[in-house]
Amino acid sequence: MIDTSAPLLSVRNLKKSFPIKKGVFGRQVGAVQAVNDVSFDVAPGETLGIVGESGGGKTTAGRAILRLIEPTSGSIKFEGRDVCALDTRGLRAIRREMQIIFQDPVSSLNPRMTIGAIIREGLIIHKLAQGAAADARVKQLLEEVGLRKEYATRYPHEFSGGQRQRIGVARALSVEPKLIICDEPVSALDVSVQAQVINLLQDLQRERNLTYMFIAHDLSVVEHIANRVAVMYLGKIVELATSEDLYREPLMPYTQALLSAVPVADPAARKERIILQGDVPSPANPPSGCVFHPRCHHPAKDEACSRIVPPLEEKAPGHLAACIKQPPTIVSWEQQQQAGGVRPPERYLPIAAVH
Amino acid sequence: MLTPIRGFAALSGAARVALAVLAAIAIVAAFAPLVAPYDPAAQPDIVGAKNLPPSAQHPFGTDPYSRDVLSRVIYGARLSLAIGFLATMVSLTLGVAYGAVAGYAGGFVDALMMRILDALLAIPRLLLLIAILAAWTRLSVGALVLFLGLTGWFGLSRIVRGQVLALTEAEFITSARALGASRRRILARHLLPNLISPIAVAATLGVAHVIVLEVGLSYLGIGVAQPEASWGNIIHDGSDQVATLWWMSLFPGLLMVLTVMMLNIVGESLRDAYDRR
Repeated sequence: MIDTSAPLLSVRNLKKSFPIKKGVFGRQVGAVQAVNDVSFDVAPGETLGIVGESGGGKTTAGRAILRLIEPTSGSIKFEGRDVCALDTRGLRAIRREMQIIFQDPVSSLNPRMTIGAIIREGLIIHKLAQGAAADARVKQLLEEVGLRKEYATRYPHEFSGGQRQRIGVARALSVEPKLIICDEPVSALDVSVQAQVINLLQDLQRERNLTYMFIAHDLSVVEHIANRVAVMYLGKIVELATSEDLYREPLMPYTQALLSAVPVADPAARKERIILQGDVPSPANPPSGCVFHPRCHHPAKDEACSRIVPPLEEKAPGHLAACIKQPPTIVSWEQQQQAGGVRPPERYLPIAAVH
Repeated sequence: MLTPIRGFAALSGAARVALAVLAAIAIVAAFAPLVAPYDPAAQPDIVGAKNLPPSAQHPFGTDPYSRDVLSRVIYGARLSLAIGFLATMVSLTLGVAYGAVAGYAGGFVDALMMRILDALLAIPRLLLLIAILAAWTRLSVGALVLFLGLTGWFGLSRIVRGQVLALTEAEFITSARALGASRRRILARHLLPNLISPIAVAATLGVAHVIVLEVGLSYLGIGVAQPEASWGNIIHDGSDQVATLWWMSLFPGLLMVLTVMMLNIVGESLRDAYDRR
């Protein structure tokens, strides 16, 4: 049930930079642009996947939306309310509606609290239930995430990674949020357990009409659960499309490379592997122009790519990508030539329609 | 949270025995006036009853002033244990406060506080204490506790700072913030309970360390002053005739070793219990 009339979450020009300090006196010598001018909407009931390599700014973006990290600039609107302008009280109120599930099932649960106390905490903070009513609610939540209600009196170290992640889900659900930011919730789990947790998240979404922002570095995981997918690279969104379009016809060379690395469960399927050269450049010193150009394999790559910052623009209906070499583009060929371009834009789809 | 009872259940068998031995020593020390056969300061016969070897009448012998060594060791336990415990309390308070502030504040404040600590840690504790204590001819026990406490918190504050830093990075703290928990709630429910275990371990080992220090200082003659008895100054009283008056260093020494060993066993076991997740 995706309602596209009004977005639940609307992020515009979000930026977050971390200062790099050196020396005894903490002199600022530079800044890491962890999230650099990111804009997107999330519709109610939708799942927006966010993918990219480590260091791409996915986690920072998720936490900045919850204001667990203060954004440097940009606007975040949740149901029309400006999240950045909220005071402590307003922030507490809105956190009831936005929750987060963490990647690390070990450090995300307080080892000194029972499972019951962990799940109860949200109920108490927001005065949703007390005493026996809270106990009953905790048991109900435990059963809802597929755990036994007797587990309420146990401690986190008694559980496996998958079970701990379910506890984290129950904790997030306790305050009945509308939006849950899932920050790589299955990356630390075994593959078989990953599927269980993803199925649980999907079931809960259907039952409660939840909206997800699903952060992952694994495209095959996101393909399963997301309606739309944003690909992030060095703090920027480089491609944003429905998962169907993205997996069928990835336009941004970075997405193509990521997708070519996804294993296909069909031994007969032959596909080209795009091996990315080198590591992700340091976000403290990102490449000029298109941040991906040093690792790009697009045959039309030229000087212009290192000079012109590619706008995130619509290449096909509802399919946004940031690449001046994938037509159509608003950066004209003349402009590219002026910037040293020698190869005209040309559609390049090395792995299209494999999926 | 690990309650004291749960904590005990988590201890190893050896640690439970050690805890029982410590409790026995503490009880004997607490009821010293009832347990000790003689007044520890009484000198019944300075000529006839001095330097007596252990016998049925004086199981630990007598000292050069004809005082009963057993009684002095029992009263000495009182002082040695009390000094160890109280001085550790002082270090604990200072160390936790300093470390928590540095870890929580971060940035420049943290950097400055840690450099100061580096400087303090560079001074040998025993040497510093000798320099301070030598300035007094008769030092009160209270002042001794204070000085031992004041010089014993450096390492602990390091541990606490590190733990606070690690905890503020932990995702369960972020999660509590995401749930809308107040700063006070995070401090009381998430930060402090997770600090207690490393502090308990450091404190247990700290008591043992202070006991050894006190014995060392009193042996040098600058710790607990006469006629008050402490394990250290009993050894001191017999130190110029160690070979002949062997009972004067053997019994208090053995007791000190026993106590410190038991404390270390308990400390190690506590660490194992807390680290086992």
